[in-house]
Amino acid sequence: MTASDLSTVVETGTGVYVYGVVVADDAAAAVAAVGVAVDPAHGVASVREGEIAALVSEVSLEEFGEASLRGRLEDPAWLEAKVRAHEDVLERALVCTAIVPFRFGTIFRREDDVRRFLVDRGSEVAQVLERVRGKVEIGVKAFVDRELLERRLTETSPEVHELEDQRRTATGGREYLLRRRLERALGEEVERFRDECARASHVRLAAAADDARVSELQPSELSGRAEEMLLNGAYLVHAGDDGLEAAVAELGVRYRDLGVSYDLTGPWPAYNFVPRELGET
Amino acid sequence: MSSRELSDGRRTEVGPYRSGQPAQLADVLERVLDKGIVIAGDIQVNLLDIELLTIRLRLLIASADKAREMGIDWWEHDGFLSGGRRGSLEQRLRKLEEKAGLPVDEERSGE
Repeated sequence: MTASDLSTVVETGTGVYVYGVVVADDAAAAVAAVGVAVDPAHGVASVREGEIAALVSEVSLEEFGEASLRGRLEDPAWLEAKVRAHEDVLERALVCTAIVPFRFGTIFRREDDVRRFLVDRGSEVAQVLERVRGKVEIGVKAFVDRELLERRLTETSPEVHELEDQRRTATGGREYLLRRRLERALGEEVERFRDECARASHVRLAAAADDARVSELQPSELSGRAEEMLLNGAYLVHAGDDGLEAAVAELGVRYRDLGVSYDLTGPWPAYNFVPRELGET
Repeated sequence: MSSRELSDGRRTEVGPYRSGQPAQLADVLERVLDKGIVIAGDIQVNLLDIELLTIRLRLLIASADKAREMGIDWWEHDGFLSGGRRGSLEQRLRKLEEKAGLPVDEERSGE
């Protein structure tokens, strides 16, 4: 066997999958709260080191070993089940403790390797943990019913209104040109409104939160909504604080007539508020 | 709604927004695959794999049939994907969507 064959060898035995790091004193409660692990054959446990503890579960390397994992990632059904299991463990643990969520697929060979990681990088992880302690991430998505918005803007925009008036009495080529100008003017108004509404909403929501991030907009096929998404935000709030909900309700009233609605998701572990890598801020 | 006392004395509430239904897959994917801290475990696919995977998953969800029609590995040979993994994911996603014919337009392709 040549060296290049080694990477495709399917491994056997088990590895240790790490979901995230929690406050050590809460680890037992968190472990008791979680359900099914990413590999349902094994239960979730904690590896404690000082003030912090990693939430872990054993995974079969036939399934999660590097060579197999790469292939499994190509299977959307497998991936959805595992990604949801990862989230479910953290979500249930979140009820009991603060969490630094790890990216999907963080796997160590042995528990001792996890322990060594906690010893080596523990103080950096603890700093991140401290930042999210007592806080949760709430997702807020804003959607706009484009048809309704266009109707409202046709009523309220002087430019669009004027063009519409002219178009109604025009005929032939002139009517066509006016219709094109109308479409363009309306499109610009819609874009301007979308930008303004997204910005104003985010500013208002961020004011009710400790920290705020904006994620990419999801197209309709992903969001599962007929309306267009105009804001996909994540907000870090103190657990139990309802200030963000109040802000969402306020925005809902402010923009309701223009076809805008808001969706809350979470509470999530603070995925959007931990650095991509340790050492980054 | 149940609540628990945290070690730091705060109480946290169980999901007020989730009334028992699972979260939207897109919301879970964008967090579990794209966010969260990256720790180099001993066994790990690299970040680029995960990032490309996210793009592809979005496309698969968006239009599983389209993606199937195009063949499972069509994106792997795409030039702009291999350049600059920190580039604008959104931009690349848009391009991919165009390439995959998303959103599906009305005009029919040759029969």
